[in-house]
Amino acid sequence: MKRRSFLKAGCACGASLIPGLAQAQAESDWQVPLRFAKPDVSTDEGGLWAIMDREETKLRRSPFTIRDASLRGYVHDIACRLGGEHCPDIRVHLVRTPLFNASMSPNGMMQVWSGLMLRMENEAQLAAVLGHEIGHYLARHSVERLRDAKSRSAFAQFLGLFGLIGAVGQLATLAGAFAYSRDHERQADSIGLMLMRKAGYDPAEAAKVWDNLLVEIKAKPGGDPATNPMFATHPEPEERKETLMRLAEASPGGVTNERAWQKETGPFRSEWLSDEIKRGQHEESLALLTRMIERTPSQAEYRYARAEVYRLRAKESDLDAAIADYGAAVILGAEPPETHRGLGMIYRSRNQSAEAMTSFKRYLQLAPEAPDFAIIKSYLEEEGT
Amino acid sequence: MKRLLIVLLSVALAGCVAAVRVESGQRVLGERLVVNLDGPWNQINAPGLGPAQIWTMEGLPVDQLMIYTGIKNDEAIHAERNDGKTKSFKFRSGMQPDEIVALFEGMLTRDGSRFKLVKLAPAAFGGGKGFRFEYSLSRKVDNVQLSGIGYGTVSKGELFAIVYMAPRLTFFSRHQTRVERIAQSALVKS
Repeated sequence: MKRRSFLKAGCACGASLIPGLAQAQAESDWQVPLRFAKPDVSTDEGGLWAIMDREETKLRRSPFTIRDASLRGYVHDIACRLGGEHCPDIRVHLVRTPLFNASMSPNGMMQVWSGLMLRMENEAQLAAVLGHEIGHYLARHSVERLRDAKSRSAFAQFLGLFGLIGAVGQLATLAGAFAYSRDHERQADSIGLMLMRKAGYDPAEAAKVWDNLLVEIKAKPGGDPATNPMFATHPEPEERKETLMRLAEASPGGVTNERAWQKETGPFRSEWLSDEIKRGQHEESLALLTRMIERTPSQAEYRYARAEVYRLRAKESDLDAAIADYGAAVILGAEPPETHRGLGMIYRSRNQSAEAMTSFKRYLQLAPEAPDFAIIKSYLEEEGT
Repeated sequence: MKRLLIVLLSVALAGCVAAVRVESGQRVLGERLVVNLDGPWNQINAPGLGPAQIWTMEGLPVDQLMIYTGIKNDEAIHAERNDGKTKSFKFRSGMQPDEIVALFEGMLTRDGSRFKLVKLAPAAFGGGKGFRFEYSLSRKVDNVQLSGIGYGTVSKGELFAIVYMAPRLTFFSRHQTRVERIAQSALVKS
């Protein structure tokens, strides 16, 4: 039934040349399946579940797993609202990795990475991503992919990928293991939007997630979305955005729950921003942080973070831009102590001793336990002599 | 680290990895760095490694000592990929100690590993003013928790450094003193 609907949708797409309408048709035909029973381990699907179960055991022990019960419970509740009666089978694992990624395995293991959460502006946007992943799960795309690989004599290669994971336990590879086809992605988008609507979220937020990501990718040197691995198996970005917008327009309304999202993720934002700065992908980070500053200009930590990226990139006028952002963070108040360290570093490099000393002194006052206290103190002493 | 493991595995299978014993005593590394070793080490030579010399006591990937013997301005501190996708971390002559440590942090976390600076302080190294840092690393590839130390100095615009890491349990403490003695013996020739 699902496959027939999907093929019908594909035909409609070709006939009408309007992908959105085909998607809408597919969505209206598609029914949420009943909960999945654990397959027998002697079957191909059962084998796949067993591999994923082993990986999940490793993930539970991983130092990269975010164990905060409140945040985990909050994200799990969002996934449950989307998953409906499949909720008991969904297990959410939050992973501290500064990249945009979420995935769901056929055994119900869902991973949500901190880099993705940093980029979400509200609960509805996260729901859009989780809904998409649950869409893959409900449509059993990974099993389809497994069988497709078997039919093309690529089974060993497919399982070899998991074998590699088993050997080294690499979560990044695990999360990216299910490279679905473009048709799978389109269907998951469509299902995801349907789940968003059912859960009461504003489906217009789904296209915004995509739009925001595109801005970052285009900001990267040579940032052609067509050559980005993220898009290798995904529909054309513009097509996808427009399809999502069209589907959302069909039934507008719903909540974004921005305030709840900001409240729940607020305690983690500093460390996620720190991870983003350290990623060293300056252009992408600047695009992200500029968007965050435009959206929430009163957040000193966003100004600080962008200043840090400018300082670390250190191209032509970057240090001036960094000073401006550090200064704005100080004016806004409640700036991270490292704001003053950054200012001191720039002033020191420019031989502005008085300004450097003032900034370093302030940093040491605000962060007496900082791991670099001794080296900053030595700078201060050097500037003073 | 993941890349290092893959490179080592690939070249090992191809028979290209060579482990050379570095004998104790005074050793000149590169053109200008002199150290005294109070015991032998194993140096790993393989295509795709560099610019640091890679030494180990226990064997890779258990522990590794990276020795930088004069990184020039705008030179990357790791072997570069020319795929246009992988971020390079390049040394600049005017970098201050915390910027150099951030450079090592960037290099060590390219595979998603997590670095935490424990301490950074001024320290003598190479016969002059330098810095010493301690860190921990959660290695993404296998979830192993590592501890590390590093020393560095900039001489005539070139970076000289040694950076060691090993699993926090057992191995780091087993070799830390030996590494500290190497650092204390280091002399950068003018």
